[in-house]
This record gives sequence, structure tokens and C-alpha cells, in this order.
Amino acid sequence: MKRPHIVHLIDDTTAGGVMRVLDHIRQSPDLARHAVHSFKQVKRGTLAFGRIDADVIVSHLTLNWRGLPGLFVLRASNAGRKLVHVEHSYTESFVALNVAKPRRFMAMLRIAFALFDKVVAVSKAQGKWMLRRDLLSSSGLRVIRSAVDLTEFTRLDPVSGPVRVIGAIGRLDTQKGFDLLITAFRALPDTGLKLAFYGEGPERPALEALAAGDARISFEGFAADPMHAMSQVDAIAMPSRWEAYGLVAQEALAAGRIVLVSGVDGLAEQSDDGAVNVGGLTVAAWTRELGDLNGGGRTGAPVKARLAHCAQSRRAFEAGWSGLFADLLGHEAGGGSASSRAA
Amino acid sequence: MPIASIVVPSYNAQATLPETLASLRVQSFQDIEIIIVNDGSTDDTARIAEAASAADPRIRVVTQLNRGLAGARNSGIAAARGEFVGFCDADDLWHPGKMAAHVAHLRQATDVGLSYAGSRLIDMQSQPIGAVQKPRLSGVTAAHILKRNPIGNGSAPVMRREALQALAYRPRTEMERDWVFDETFRQSEDIECWLRLALTTDWRIEGVEGFLTDYRLSPGGLSAATDRQLASWERMIEKLLPLSPGFFARHLGAARAYQLRYLARRAISDLDGPRAMRLVRQSLTQSVTPLVEEPIKTGITMIAALVLLGGGAAALKFAMRGKASSPKTSA
Repeated sequence: MKRPHIVHLIDDTTAGGVMRVLDHIRQSPDLARHAVHSFKQVKRGTLAFGRIDADVIVSHLTLNWRGLPGLFVLRASNAGRKLVHVEHSYTESFVALNVAKPRRFMAMLRIAFALFDKVVAVSKAQGKWMLRRDLLSSSGLRVIRSAVDLTEFTRLDPVSGPVRVIGAIGRLDTQKGFDLLITAFRALPDTGLKLAFYGEGPERPALEALAAGDARISFEGFAADPMHAMSQVDAIAMPSRWEAYGLVAQEALAAGRIVLVSGVDGLAEQSDDGAVNVGGLTVAAWTRELGDLNGGGRTGAPVKARLAHCAQSRRAFEAGWSGLFADLLGHEAGGGSASSRAA
Repeated sequence: MPIASIVVPSYNAQATLPETLASLRVQSFQDIEIIIVNDGSTDDTARIAEAASAADPRIRVVTQLNRGLAGARNSGIAAARGEFVGFCDADDLWHPGKMAAHVAHLRQATDVGLSYAGSRLIDMQSQPIGAVQKPRLSGVTAAHILKRNPIGNGSAPVMRREALQALAYRPRTEMERDWVFDETFRQSEDIECWLRLALTTDWRIEGVEGFLTDYRLSPGGLSAATDRQLASWERMIEKLLPLSPGFFARHLGAARAYQLRYLARRAISDLDGPRAMRLVRQSLTQSVTPLVEEPIKTGITMIAALVLLGGGAAALKFAMRGKASSPKTSA
């Protein structure tokens, strides 16, 4: 029985959530049961897509006006193929804070999405937003929450007793809201609580300046091994200004860490899995929640719940993708090749 | 279920509430409910509200201990069932076609979350004083709201329920219902809400043509409140700044200059020359943007402050020929 061939297109290979998810797709035995996955890196905005030998082409590309001609070429050169786009970046809060002309921007998204057979939203909130803004029809949308292999995280020692170290993992970029985190943290009296940043990025000098003189705050640099960073902290703070999904929250929850999220976009639904929704981006709210961590009132999830969550996340991801391929190729997942049918 | 709700926060409003309700009951768009929130009034408000409710089944009364304007609006929102929710303070008036205009607008532009229109200013006798709020209606960005607040006053907007839901949150201490307006503010609660809408959601804010609200000015004596008003405005900035530090870095200077100019104009209305001059000077120190963007209005403010300072109230009164007036403070 020949498995369908899936080609994933990527235009941004910098370390981050998207690459982690793609690595997961590459390595997942679950997904390999249903399809053969390969990966193709392309230049941003390229026109040189040509014909791609695949049953399904999955775009992980960044959408913008400049990239639209390339997408038309992609669609035209692969008229018989199924095209899927995974929207890793854009959300309601992204638009609110970054887009000067929302109507123009939404028009671009509508055109781009129309070129694909299906569009995948990486969180329920993102999917709802796409429908609310008529970016596509509900039949063209699939919500498949992003996932990585969480097994290793579930093996970390659980957190016991009061929180001593709060971690902030991610690119040091205004998106992540780490400036707010530092301001809120500095408003707390010194009780031995520490704040550690794992990541690099353009905001590092500004964040260091904001943290200057406070020995409780440290910058540990980029953590090539996310497990290591997670093992060093008791809680994770995610005061992101926009976030399509928030993979770090899933990892931290699997590791039994306490997770605080700002509640924007996909972060809101992390509270279904046990994260604490701080309910916004005010210094007062974050100072209060950070202070409560130190009081030890909150604890991480027990191992059993973590394992169950990990298994559930894995199953949902597999079911989402295999279901999507089956749907597109018109047969049971793994039941044969579309290229033979197309001939 | 009514299509639209109108929330009427009412605090000791016996003098004006009947006229306000009359203006709402004759809305040409009839499928409405009117929710009077009696916010701990100690006057005849409760009786007037109950009588109105008995006379018109579309009117409901919500009674609570005094929570302030934001708290009254939040209770009204919680009680509202309409797809669209408008606000009319208990001393302001709506023109008969106002709700119809906003419902049509919100139905046609499905990405608009807040629809507003211009306002006429009226005095205590409900007579137009000859001045209007004629705001920018389209292409409104967060920067416009921060600097010029085109929505103008709390009786101008009609909002889509989904946009209200996007703004709603539940503070830890709140056991009963969500907050849309931040009840820790006694002033600047409007602009805090509109700016939060612009910075945290992608609902658009857009106006329709016309002067559809009569916005009542209460008589002077407000100059002393300008310091408090400025303080609450600064607190609003401090609260929202973490949402987008870059945005505030770009626009805050100009916004503060506009805010100071506005307060200077109020000081002029109250014939407080030294205060007006000080505020004008502070405004210009912050940014010359108001002078560039609105040279005439800014220039007149400067000249009026100078005339008042140099020639006193009589000189200014002569120059203005009785046009001076002061916007009311919020409850």
C-alpha cells in the first residue's frame, strides 16, 4: 500500500516554534504511518515553484502581498495537486498591533487563502478569527493545534514547594512581552524569586537595560535544548502580545510547570490545559500573579495528568493531519497514492 | 429578543432622565430595549425609572449600589440582550434616527465593532449652544483615538455585542459579571475602553454622518478638576502602555499635547487665565503636533489664553461673545 507523498514548503528556518513543529512532523512515527513527508526550503517571495511531485503540498510560508505572485505560480503549476496552507503567524492581536490598514491586509489573506484547498489554523482562537473575518469558508478551514513530542518533558521532575525560578523562553522580541514581565517582576519585593530568560533577539539590549541593577533577573542566552531550560525553572511566564498558539505553554504543562499566559489569541485556550490566564497585559495583573507564584498557592499538574495530556495532544495532532489528507485525497488515510489516480 | 439595546447609566438624574428616555422611546428603529441602570441614586431617579418601565415594556430597570459610570455601563451590558448595544448617559439625548443609522452601518460593515456619529452640544435647558463635535469618521486608527478621540463622548457609540465580548474580562475581585469598562477609573474610562478595543482586537471603529447625539454641558467650575482629569488620563496611559510600547513612544507626546490643550480650553471656559496659560505652555512643550495638525484651533486656544491672562475675563467674554462653555465631568 503506497502512502501519499506530502511536500512541506518552508521559507523561514530560524529556530522557533514552526521549525519545532516541522521537526515533529518529520520524526513522528504516527504521521509516517499515513504519509511520506518531505521538506522543501524556498526563498521568501520566490516565483520559482515549478511543478512539485507530491500528492499534497503543504505551505508553511509567510503570506504577504509580495509573496502572492509566487503563490499564484505555485497554484497554476500544480493544478491537479492538493494545496494546504498552515497559518503559523497571523492572529487577531497581530493585526490589532501591527497592521496599519487592516482591510487591505485581510484582502491579501482572502486572496491567498483562496488559492489553497484547505487552510489550517493552529489554534481554535485563530480559526474562529479567520471565520469571523470571512477570510475563508468554514469548509475550507481545519483547526489542528500545533504539537511537538512532549514525551521528554513529562519525564522532568515535578515542581515541589514554592516557585523559586520563573522562566521566560522565546525570542527576545517585542511580540513576547518580556519588557512587561521585567517591569512587573521588579515591582515585587525580593523574596529570593528569580526570573531567567532563555532566548536571543533584537530586544536583548533594551531588556537588559530594563533589568539593570536587579540581580534576580538573568539572561541565559539561546537554549538549544528546550528540555534543559525547562528543567531549570519552576514556572513559565508567557506575556505575549500576540501568539498564534504558544507551543512553549504545552511543553511547560507537560513538564508539570506552572504556566502564566497573557490570554491573547491561542494563549487563551492554553488555560483549558491548565495554564493560568492572567487576563491581559497590565503590569498590575502580572505583578499580582507573579507574587502569588511565590506564595506557593499554585502547583503543577500531577504526572498522571501530564502523561494523559501528552498522549491526547499526540493523538489529536495525528488525527488532525491524517484526517485532512484522507479528506483531500478522497480515501482512507494511507490507502494509496493520488498520483496514480491523477494520471 | 430585541435587536438593539440602549444602556442608560443614571445617577441622580431626576432632572434630565425623563427627556433622555423620551428621546430613546421615539427611536425610528423600534426593535430595542432600554436598560436604565440606577446607579445608587438618592433622588427621584428610581421612581421615574419604574414609572417609565411600567409605561413601556421595552424599558427595564437595573438597580445597584453606586459603582460609578463604568460600573453602571457594565451592569447594563450584562443585562443587555441585543446584538447591538448603545449607550446614552441619563442627561444626554439621542436623535430619532440614531439607532437606525448605527444598526444599518454595523450590518453593512461587518468588521466594524463600534459605530459612532458626531454630537451637538446643548445647555441645561436642552438648547443647542451652537457648537458641535464633528469627528473624523473613517480611517480611524489607535493613534487617532489616543490623540483626538473621535468617538467624542459616552453617548455617541453603538457597539456590536461581539466587540463587547472581546473586551470583557473578569477581575479577581468581581463575583457578579464581567467588566468591559474599567471600574477603577472615575474619569477617562471611555477612552481607556476605546483605546483597548483598538489595541487588543481587530474590530474597526468607524463613524456615520450626522450629529446624532445631543451632549449636555453642565455649567462651569470645572477648572479645579483638570488636574484630576490629567492624572486619570496619565493613569490610563500607564495601564495601556505595555500593550504596545512602540505605539505609545510614537504618539504619546502629541497625544499629551492635545490633552493639555483640551484642558487649557476648559480653563479658558472657566475664565482661569493663569491656569489656561500654564496648560498651553505645557502643551507646546510636549509637542507642536497640535499646532501643525490643527493650527487654527490651537492658535485660538493660545490667543484666548493670552487675552484672558492680559485683559481678564471681560476682555475674553467680549472677544468670545458668550461662546464659552465647559464640557461636563463624568459621574
